[in-house]
Amino acid sequence: MPRQWVVVYSITDFITIGMLLTVVAMNSIKRIETCLRAYTLNSLLLALLMAISAFYLDAAHLYVAAAFTLVSKGIAIPLFLKKVVRDLKITREVEPNINTPLSLVITSVLVVVVYSSLSKGIFIEGFTENTLKVSVSIILISLFIMITRRKAVTQVIGLLLMENGVFLAGFSLTYGMSTIIELGVVFDVLMGVIILGVFLTQIKKSFAKVDLDKLNTLKG
Amino acid sequence: MMIIPAAAALICLLTRQRRVYEYATVAGAAAMVFIALSIAAGVLRGLVIKSPGGMIYVDALSAFMLVIIALLSFVAAVYSVEYMGNELTAGHLDKKAHRYYYLLYNLFIFTMVLIPMANNLAILWMAIEGTTLVSALLVGTYRRRESVEAAWKYIILCTVGITFALLGTFIVYYASSGALGEGKGVLEWTALTSMASRLNPATIKLGFILIIVGYGTKAGLAPVHNWLPDAHSEAPTPISALLSGILLNCAFYGVMRFAVIARASCGPAFVRDMMFLFGISSVVVASVFMLIQGNVKRLLAYSSIEHMGIIALSFGVGGPFGLYASLLHILNHAIGKPLMFFVTGRIKGLYNSVESEGISGILKAMPLMGVIGFIGVMALAGAPPFSMFVSEFLMLRALAAGGYWYVMGVFLATGGLVFYGLLKNFGGMFLGAPSMPLPVGAAVYKSKTSFITGTVMFGMAMALVVMGIYIPGPLDRLITLSAGIIGG
Repeated sequence: MPRQWVVVYSITDFITIGMLLTVVAMNSIKRIETCLRAYTLNSLLLALLMAISAFYLDAAHLYVAAAFTLVSKGIAIPLFLKKVVRDLKITREVEPNINTPLSLVITSVLVVVVYSSLSKGIFIEGFTENTLKVSVSIILISLFIMITRRKAVTQVIGLLLMENGVFLAGFSLTYGMSTIIELGVVFDVLMGVIILGVFLTQIKKSFAKVDLDKLNTLKG
Repeated sequence: MMIIPAAAALICLLTRQRRVYEYATVAGAAAMVFIALSIAAGVLRGLVIKSPGGMIYVDALSAFMLVIIALLSFVAAVYSVEYMGNELTAGHLDKKAHRYYYLLYNLFIFTMVLIPMANNLAILWMAIEGTTLVSALLVGTYRRRESVEAAWKYIILCTVGITFALLGTFIVYYASSGALGEGKGVLEWTALTSMASRLNPATIKLGFILIIVGYGTKAGLAPVHNWLPDAHSEAPTPISALLSGILLNCAFYGVMRFAVIARASCGPAFVRDMMFLFGISSVVVASVFMLIQGNVKRLLAYSSIEHMGIIALSFGVGGPFGLYASLLHILNHAIGKPLMFFVTGRIKGLYNSVESEGISGILKAMPLMGVIGFIGVMALAGAPPFSMFVSEFLMLRALAAGGYWYVMGVFLATGGLVFYGLLKNFGGMFLGAPSMPLPVGAAVYKSKTSFITGTVMFGMAMALVVMGIYIPGPLDRLITLSAGIIGG
């Protein structure tokens, strides 16, 4: 089979590890625009992975899914967030609650835990066998980033990375669902980002800053 | 069914005439009630509605949910006209925000109507995520600091939760493709239930845990309930009513559909234990927080968590009694809680405050609201002879029959705390000599409730009383049929 070289050179592994690395790198990035770039890279890799699998499996609907991902997550969402960030005039993340070295350590522990616990349980054969582990790691690390960061924008980026992780997991489990479902889910994500953007501006208006520390009036 | 709210939303988008979009919303909701009732009548005659593509599927359970959604969206629409009109005159929001409110209101109804009609589990997910997005904007209607904060928390927490549910949905799909062969997985609920026994139990277990955490966040089950009190207390009152009256139930509906699959695949014990876990933690957390609440809207929000816990518990016991109790409680809560939010909204209009301290003598100041509110509080506390007593009693009976004495103990103890928490706050507000209304609110608000709103609220209160004594035949059959669907 001529398409076998995709597996022989384990290209999927390269790409998924690349996605994992972009998420890990989020831990040490302070500039918001660099965070956005990390997210863009992550989404582009996701789209690339889908396209390569489409090529390997010779499935037309996967090409469509890859195109959706590229346009929405790779282009539209980053551009929109970039505009929001410029409008809000935020450039840097304030020092996170947990410092960089420690959070890197925690992140790597998370990855180890995921790898060791998923070696049993769900078992996936085929060329995406590592993908599920990577995607669960991505989900957990993104969640960790969402918890520790103080800027609302970073929280949004963490949420988006988490969604990428879920897409990756879904992809490795299902090799892509039907096109209409992909379209619907992507549409929901897109709307979500726009609405979050609206709220970011409102937070800025009513709190003068977009730090999450300020959001503490409602308790109990 | 779906076209009506969409059309009403379109009207809101097009016209700037306040009366036009108000009436469009109310008329649309009234038409929905009619359609939902006729669907329910059809289902009772044994019909099952399917669309050609298999995307839409309406059975008794869906019809039951549709009836609740339609009724609630109608009463909330009627109430909105008066309440939001008052807010407009009081200057709490501008004309544009008022119009957007109705636009979003109809979109919100649209996404919720989609939930029980979806056969495809991914469409179900999309609809539930859609409700989060739209209602987050509604929670933030006032654009005050607190409401923006509440909306932010709401959208972030629920989106994270629902992302887990998406993963759960993927895993269920994976399990189905494991049984049917590579690349042939299905997400149609009908197909999944018919082959549930062939699905890999370990995979379904993992999927169901993710689903219950994900949709449970949305349904307000503790310990993932934190967004709920904020969102409920900061949203405009009709929206608080919709959130707790139907949105929570719609999310729980998602859990129920998955539970049917999980029950058939990995046995009833697993589903029961998960439901008990979430149910017990919900009633405990809610009852403790209800003791220390002074803000009435937050108190009602915690009461919602408690009632969702009760629904989860009786759903967990299973069996004809447990499931019947669970569904009946969904209906009762969907009537009682919005009613109390409506009463609170009226009180807020008059006193410009929702703190129970400083308000007293409502029975004398607003006799109608006082009486209705009192009925509502007693019903929420689970006192006989009101309808919630019936469903809670049925649940206790199911628990006793199953021998789950520890669950019963916890429930009865928390029930006592809840009773005290509710009465401590509301008792002081309703009884005693009237405190003078604050001039700020009273100047702009009519102290008398309009005739239509009053009638609707009175009808809801009567429903609470009547259903405590007698459940109408068709409703009884509808619930029994629905329970049969869940019970398999």
